[in-house]
Amino acid sequence: MEPKNPMMDDYVLDLSGVERPRICFLPTASGDADHYVVRFYRRFGGARAEPSHVSLFRRDTTAGAVEGDIEQHLLSQDIIYVGGGSLKSLLGAWRAHGLDRTLERAWRGGVLLCGLSAGSLCWFSDAVTAFHGPSERVKGLGLLPFSNCVHYDGEPERRVAFRELVVGGVPAGYGVDDGAALVFRGTELEEVVTSKPNATAYSVRRGESGEVYERRLDARYLAPPAPPVTPPGEVVVHDGRPAAAVRDPR
Amino acid sequence: MELGMPALDAFILALAPVERPRVLFLPTAGGDPREDIARFGRVFGAWPCRPQILSLFRIEADDEPLESLILSQDIIYVGGGSLHNLLALWRAHGVADLMLEANARGTVLAGLSAGAMCWMEGGVSTSVGIPAPIDGLGLVSGSLSVHARQEPERGVVYRQAVQSGRLPAGWTADDGCGLLFRDGRLEEVVVSREDAVATHVDVDADGMLVETVLEGRRLEPVPQAVGGDGPLRREFEPGDGLGPREERRLVRQIRARTRAGGSRGWRRLR
Repeated sequence: MEPKNPMMDDYVLDLSGVERPRICFLPTASGDADHYVVRFYRRFGGARAEPSHVSLFRRDTTAGAVEGDIEQHLLSQDIIYVGGGSLKSLLGAWRAHGLDRTLERAWRGGVLLCGLSAGSLCWFSDAVTAFHGPSERVKGLGLLPFSNCVHYDGEPERRVAFRELVVGGVPAGYGVDDGAALVFRGTELEEVVTSKPNATAYSVRRGESGEVYERRLDARYLAPPAPPVTPPGEVVVHDGRPAAAVRDPR
Repeated sequence: MELGMPALDAFILALAPVERPRVLFLPTAGGDPREDIARFGRVFGAWPCRPQILSLFRIEADDEPLESLILSQDIIYVGGGSLHNLLALWRAHGVADLMLEANARGTVLAGLSAGAMCWMEGGVSTSVGIPAPIDGLGLVSGSLSVHARQEPERGVVYRQAVQSGRLPAGWTADDGCGLLFRDGRLEEVVVSREDAVATHVDVDADGMLVETVLEGRRLEPVPQAVGGDGPLRREFEPGDGLGPREERRLVRQIRARTRAGGSRGWRRLR
């Protein structure tokens, strides 16, 4: 959910291969922040998807909420979308509610799992976070047997810390710029897509004598859709508001 | 933090034996909701103390380390919400051990709802929807069930749990009722409302429940504090261009929808 740039979100909806995918938002890493949930529904609430969200902090206010409901709901989704925030808080709350197991089942069942920031780190075996002062290594769900470091372009100290951790024995993995996304099918990296022309991702691994290799990966920019071709006899007027069609009097 | 009735908060503040005590608020159990943070700011920000917030969802790289932050407080005040999540998050961040250390150092540990039960051996939580017994940190011997008069279904589950031995003997407390423990023993029951009580719940040798109502000392009403939440409010992210009024309206709609048991039909939201 990048502000004013729906490219990545549209890509995720397309990737599901479903006309009107069921997409469930997990805002756990933000403490189920209301404004984040609002943003999700504003982005995915159109005709293109069937959105829902699961709150682990307000389960008691949901009528008829019983253990098991959340699992059933998540397993019936086409897409599960995990928001950003604190990775440690995310994993702590998920484990307390058994969602770590549920999400693994969903993944094995073919549900498309995606997320940003902490919502990206969580799927990997090792995450590099900068939340607690110096960057540290946090064990994720481990669906993907790699390490992951996000905001690779935004916070230079992370890049340094990530390389050091890989030298120190953290599994090889990926550093990802803001605006770039890794697409895995199973545990295979299929491609890197970006919502910004210059964003990309890097493969980082340790050599045999302890040196670190970083390779810039090819990325595909998800260009915005071409503007619609104006039918003859019509003039499209842009004034910052939604485009209005004006018929030519001829 | 009862709305408009800060008598229990004033009582907690007076427990610290220092001038201008350091008070740390942890809104963890509610997911660090802005409303709770703002309310804490409004109440404690207007009093002679040094209030601070610890948000486990918004830790920044340049924040004070958790250990020194928690161990330097005079009072730790824990907000309400999901006890299940509270304990899971505290354990994930290493805060649970720091609370044991703070207790050993004599810090005043306080809280409401989930934030009150967390200190006990156990309580009754609705964190997973239906009321269920849950273990706490165990700093105080005995168990506690909150919202006794307000949510009677909790009390039913609590009494069953005490009778079956799932939870040790303990207390139920109405809203507006505070229990003060010193060195692990109940010292006093205080109330901010006329009709609020605590009830001691135990099992006798025949396995029958024995209940004793404890009427508390009525606290002097304290005028509602005003202002003072400015420096305490730390925003996570601006609400995507939403004005505060518009955001509140949308949040109310979300809440109403969540309570109605479903999250479908969102297209009509805006």
